[in-house]
Amino acid sequence: MNIDRRIIFVIVALAVAIPLVVPLDLPVAVTDETRAVYDRLEMLDSGSVVLVSFDHEASSLPEVRPLAEAIVNHCFMRKARVIGLALFAEGTAVGYDILNDIAAQQGKVYGHDYVYLGYRPQYTAAILGMGESIREVFPTDYDETPWEEIPLLQGVHNYDDIDLVISVADGSLPTYWVEYAQARYGQEVIAVLTAVMVTAYTPYVDAGQISGILGGLKGAAEYEKLIDRPAAGKRGMDAQALTHLAIAVMIVVGNVIAFGARRKKKTAVAGEHAV
Amino acid sequence: MNEIGTWFTALVTLAIYSFLYRDNPFYKAAEYLLLGLTIGYSLVVSIKTVLWPGLVLPLASGEAAKIIPLLLGGMMFIRLFPGLKTWSRIPLAVYVGAGAGVSIPAMLKARVLQQIGATTANVTSLSGIIMLIGVITTILYFYFSREHKGILRPAAKIGTYYMMIFFGATFGYTVMSRVTLLIGRVEFLLGDWLRVITP
Repeated sequence: MNIDRRIIFVIVALAVAIPLVVPLDLPVAVTDETRAVYDRLEMLDSGSVVLVSFDHEASSLPEVRPLAEAIVNHCFMRKARVIGLALFAEGTAVGYDILNDIAAQQGKVYGHDYVYLGYRPQYTAAILGMGESIREVFPTDYDETPWEEIPLLQGVHNYDDIDLVISVADGSLPTYWVEYAQARYGQEVIAVLTAVMVTAYTPYVDAGQISGILGGLKGAAEYEKLIDRPAAGKRGMDAQALTHLAIAVMIVVGNVIAFGARRKKKTAVAGEHAV
Repeated sequence: MNEIGTWFTALVTLAIYSFLYRDNPFYKAAEYLLLGLTIGYSLVVSIKTVLWPGLVLPLASGEAAKIIPLLLGGMMFIRLFPGLKTWSRIPLAVYVGAGAGVSIPAMLKARVLQQIGATTANVTSLSGIIMLIGVITTILYFYFSREHKGILRPAAKIGTYYMMIFFGATFGYTVMSRVTLLIGRVEFLLGDWLRVITP
């Protein structure tokens, strides 16, 4: 039995669109992994310095943005000072927008509560270089304001002055943070990942090389629940759940049809042999 | 986003999704546009935030040491001239040599030694034992110097089950990732463009 694959596309499109128009308000259960990240950020003191690295491309924005917004929101709620930067060119403007948006919502002041350093290529060299001197790697911020004119950065020299590194990534960049910042300089790292990367980084959490993982739209929805700021993650989870259900039903139905067809064929062959 | 931008983004989104019906010129045009924009954006960001402040301005202010990266970078492009392309191997050799020197010890420590340490540290717990069996049997599956006979055969078989669990979990997460991208686009089309929902 052959079904036009475009029918499947229409089913998936409807499964995504209907819950967005008519929200189902399905409950979101918080997993231990997400709570571990939340608990770590809850331990941040007022004035702690958190370095958020936007290590992703623009194509993963629908997944990365809710995650980044949730985690940056929490950093600001804890009154931590946030230093943003990008190790992928495409993440540069995205990171700048996210930081400015969330800072504006929480009344944070640029240069005092947060700063955006912009992009540096060659992530290995950049991560290693910051272990010696962040100023050497980023002599100015994204708007080309010199380091010495930015109050937040005074007293920040290298990883010794950074409480936490958060890598918001859709690829392998957290591996480099682990290899060059964690293993070499002892810098604590948290990975905020697209869902597809989660299984690859779980062993690093088990080994204690990464302090926690926040992954995918579900991770964003869980985190939004923990900080009590429902946003894009919560909105998307209804569509996510219904689409998964539709896909699971299609897999089951497809297999039932395939097994039925195979059985019918076997019966027919056995019948021919009997004749 | 202004109205023209919203409409343009919506039409390009629809052009990309039109491929689901069948390949067509609108899809091709949107695909080329995406490629061009990505390369153009990366180039501009690199020039604005790296080459200009890190190379051009220091050279203009007389920082002679910056001539070395300029020369090495320039030599990369000598490949374009077939008669001289041997010279392009020099910056490549520097790049590969420095890269290997920096990354091999770091990779060995973070990806091998620390991972082995963590795997063997918890063998007193049930989960630790399950994990250790998984690591050993999976490695045995990739041991090709001997035919998978005798004890090696069931061990490698167990390894494949562990890998199947990993692939299944990864596939599930991948579906979630891709559906999220679709949700993002549908949210944009229904919210910012058609205003059926509040974005």
